[in-house]
Amino acid sequence: MRRILAVIVAIVVVLVIVAILWGTRGRNAPTTVDYGAASAAKAVPAASASPPDDGNWTMPGKDYASTRFSGLNQITPANVGKLQVAFTFSTGTTEGFEAPPLVVNNTMYVVTPWPNNVFALDLTKPGAPAKWVYKPNTAAAAKGVACCGPVNRGAVYADGKLFLNLLDGHTVALDANSGAELWRTQVADIQKGETITMAPLVAAGKVLVGNSGGEMGVRGRLTALDEGSGKIAWIGYSTGPDKDVLIGPDYHPPYAKDAGKDLGVSTWPPGMWKIGGGSVWGWLSYDPKLKLVYYGTSNPGPWNSTQRPGDNKFTAGVFARDIDTGKVRWFYQSTPHDLYDHDDINEIVLADVPGPNGQRIPAMLRPSRNGFFYVQDRRSGRVLSAQPYGYINVYKGVDLKSGQLIPVPAMEPQEGRVLRNICPASPGAKDWNPSAFSPITGLVYIPHINLCQDMGIQNANYIAGTPFVGADVKMYAGPGGNRGVFTAWDPIAQRKVFEIKEDLPLWSPALATGGNLVFYGTMDGWFKAIDARTGKLLWQFKTASGIIGQPISYRGPDGRQYIAVPSGVGGWAGAIVTADLDPDDPTAALGFVNAVKDLKTRVAAGGVVYVFALPQ
Amino acid sequence: MNMSGFQTALGGDALESSNFLSLFAVFMAVCTIMYLLVIGALLIGMWRGRTPGGELTVESGRHHESTPAFRTALIGWTALILVGLTALTIASFFTDRSNASVARDPGLTLKVTANQWWWDVEYTTHDASKMIRTANEIHLPVGVPAEITLQASDVIHSLWIPNLAGKQDLIPGRVTDMQLLPRKIGTYRGQCAEFCGIQHAHMALDVTVESKADFEKWVAAQQRVAFAPTTPLQLAGYHYVTTRECSACHAITGTPAGGTVGPDLTHFASRRSIGAGTLPMNTGNLYGWIADPQSQKPGNHMPTIGLEPADLHAIVAYLETLK
Amino acid sequence: MSSLYRNSFAAIALLALICGCDRDKQEPRGNPLGETIPIAASPDTIFPGGKTPPSLDPRAAAYEQNAYAIAQGQQLFTWMNCAGCHSHGGGGMGPALMDGKWRYGGRIDQIAASIANGRPNGMPSWRGKLTNQQIWQLAAYVRTLSGQVRKDAVGARGDTMSNSPPQTETVRKPVTQADSAQ
Repeated sequence: MRRILAVIVAIVVVLVIVAILWGTRGRNAPTTVDYGAASAAKAVPAASASPPDDGNWTMPGKDYASTRFSGLNQITPANVGKLQVAFTFSTGTTEGFEAPPLVVNNTMYVVTPWPNNVFALDLTKPGAPAKWVYKPNTAAAAKGVACCGPVNRGAVYADGKLFLNLLDGHTVALDANSGAELWRTQVADIQKGETITMAPLVAAGKVLVGNSGGEMGVRGRLTALDEGSGKIAWIGYSTGPDKDVLIGPDYHPPYAKDAGKDLGVSTWPPGMWKIGGGSVWGWLSYDPKLKLVYYGTSNPGPWNSTQRPGDNKFTAGVFARDIDTGKVRWFYQSTPHDLYDHDDINEIVLADVPGPNGQRIPAMLRPSRNGFFYVQDRRSGRVLSAQPYGYINVYKGVDLKSGQLIPVPAMEPQEGRVLRNICPASPGAKDWNPSAFSPITGLVYIPHINLCQDMGIQNANYIAGTPFVGADVKMYAGPGGNRGVFTAWDPIAQRKVFEIKEDLPLWSPALATGGNLVFYGTMDGWFKAIDARTGKLLWQFKTASGIIGQPISYRGPDGRQYIAVPSGVGGWAGAIVTADLDPDDPTAALGFVNAVKDLKTRVAAGGVVYVFALPQ
Repeated sequence: MNMSGFQTALGGDALESSNFLSLFAVFMAVCTIMYLLVIGALLIGMWRGRTPGGELTVESGRHHESTPAFRTALIGWTALILVGLTALTIASFFTDRSNASVARDPGLTLKVTANQWWWDVEYTTHDASKMIRTANEIHLPVGVPAEITLQASDVIHSLWIPNLAGKQDLIPGRVTDMQLLPRKIGTYRGQCAEFCGIQHAHMALDVTVESKADFEKWVAAQQRVAFAPTTPLQLAGYHYVTTRECSACHAITGTPAGGTVGPDLTHFASRRSIGAGTLPMNTGNLYGWIADPQSQKPGNHMPTIGLEPADLHAIVAYLETLK
Repeated sequence: MSSLYRNSFAAIALLALICGCDRDKQEPRGNPLGETIPIAASPDTIFPGGKTPPSLDPRAAAYEQNAYAIAQGQQLFTWMNCAGCHSHGGGGMGPALMDGKWRYGGRIDQIAASIANGRPNGMPSWRGKLTNQQIWQLAAYVRTLSGQVRKDAVGARGDTMSNSPPQTETVRKPVTQADSAQ
């Protein structure tokens, strides 16, 4: 009798141990999962938007096609193991550090989050000392209306000038040599809850600037300033009557659902389009041949969707505007009547894809926040294919005939009730942090997240300058338990090629290089280099703080290839660290705190640029 | 305070309340008959059961059990009860079906959200831009079935318009509904019928049933943006209302005031009462209400600000333009 | 019953009546023109030359332990979008209110002053947008988020998605000296 008991106890103990090991598998070690070889046919970056690499990095996306690809190939899988720190630079700020350093004319320009200082480092001298510093005195009150960290996503260099946006709603142009301010224009008003965090796009003599504030009841818009004078040339609103949105006889949407008159008014309850969001806080791409600028708009406001019945145009969709006049050529709404804060501001890679008859279709590739990877014809906006690149249980798919996103009716939030297990969570399958595209492998390298959430909505009150949300959210890891994932995606076959699971959400952009390497960083500070073809981890370095900023690659004055990355955790995902939030309230930071409760013990805030190179 | 003439559950001015009246009549008839029979039987029993001494004995009762007369009486009595209950059941069933038939093809859809202590009313259509939002009042076209969706934001309330339709609870976190088919033009008073806090007694609703033409006129007026101020005093009031305490809770379409936690004021002056039936709408009451809402309706969520006299004059002047 | 017990019961009942009064004393009208918020309430700081810090206004203490004021403050916290920046105490755009760290002071009059005046790093100024009574009520509620208030005055449930333990079980965080580095 006693022996039987002992046997049973032993079996139970073994089962418990196995269960624990099974449950905690893959928790710490990122594992690479291979999904098979990429397709032979490849996407090719749009030629007019993607000139050959000159060794500089003049805009956050590297080029107008937003490839984030550096053609430099001195660093390869064979020698990347020897990569070492060449120099570092501390900015003195400790908010989320998202802006990539720009390198042009042997000068490195570093743009910090609030207070938005700009440093120019002389790369010709050892240790890259600063040449000049620009301190704009950005208003501190702007931090009170910046939803997701007082970040800045970068400056742009063009025509001897540096253009950047300040958090408090101004756009400035600096002389790139001296740092003198050439002009400063107010584009957004913090009293209305608006800020600016995005990196502008400078093309065709215009500086394009979008506002932030989809959580603050703002009216989203894209403003074009004249590059020389800073005067406003045109404003294309994201909501309101056609004359404000700049929709005229040239407007040809690809689908009937986005066609009509004054849709920016008729798809909203009366007056709500004025506070409806659709802000433009993300990435812009530009096709110089078609003269069209492409960008997506943010979520509609408030998050409580029951307060704004209707499709809520033109939020959560992609605009194609003529860059000279701002007139809309086409618009595609990815997520009509958004229910979960699925903005559409993610990066748009301009690439040509092979068509069914062997022709090349000028297309756009974009991993959207709603979890679908869209491949669209960039001339017309027509969706060629849309497949999920993350786990989705709130949408059934995209109907290619009507272009409509098909929701799951049971997953519609109702006031006063909590809806659970919404996947993807509000930051989507991927938030703002952009992917990179390699023309060599033809793959899109997507650093993203795997989060689901519970959501409870209640009536949101509108008071200008305060949040207009009406939702409590609590996020947690999605299926598999890993909160982050790095995916190599084949845009032609529309499937994963390989995938690396990460413990923490990936909030950093990616960099692809001509040496067939891909670089990205983790929120606890590991800067990693992987093989672009297989995903094998080849090199990693632990930086001082978490990485949420764009890595770049440039050719230094000595002709060598350098890799630079900003290190400073923050943003929405890292707010628990930079703002010292309390994890006892899982709804803090719009729900993100619950997903990264352990982050405060693993990393602290920082603001340092690291530059790596091979040993001499 | 009497707004509508006569608030009565015996009004019968809509399908639901007239159905209720019919059902009430059936119940009354059946129950009266049964009551009279029971009382009659009791009296007969008391008369028959007398003994010379005037006491009722057990033996005298036992004698009657096994007689055929008694058995017949029992069977008859049971049959009578069954017939009566069946009549009541059938009557209830048909009443309920009649009420539910309204839901099949509603001509009008409304959403009523109950708050402490006011009613938020929205007229919804599939064209979101034609939505109307008002407070503490409902207008209905006569003869058109209306489907009313009911929600609550804080505690349980109950919507009751005695002349028109019966009580239906509004429960936080749930969506309930009510159907209404008004039959007679007039103004009626509704109120909250579930204790919901200190001012439950001052949570009334003003229901106006009018001809289709008048209803369309009212809808068009509601869809209009708020009138702009014209005189300097109104302008000062507009400035106060849209930038100071008022706009933190109240909305006036066409102005920067966008607060959603209090009643919509866009057409406030066209309502018949202030504070959900607390005071009739007139200039004097408006002054009193704005100056000190807590003395009129203590505990309600509109605070007493302690306004300067000039501000008070300006605010009232502006609000009176919001017709 | 015997007179001994009767007198004791009477005494206890009287005591209970007196003690229970203030906790739920409802003054919906408040004192509109009398509810001032001290402008000079400053974070715990140096008082040069032996000057003592200002003592707490007794009216402020009355607000802090009053269940009605806390309940009103709880509703206002959501309505005025405080929860949009501070969540339910955990913070977001604004700092956490449920921990023991206070940039601008954690006493109820200092919190009321922060709400009324606004603060340099983005806290909006609510003077003129809320009545002073409402600001005191909000400050009373904010004090409960870090467990500073007696447990029989705080609300036992929130009106939104349940996320943290009920306030009646919040552990009292020791309020530290203000950190005015920002």
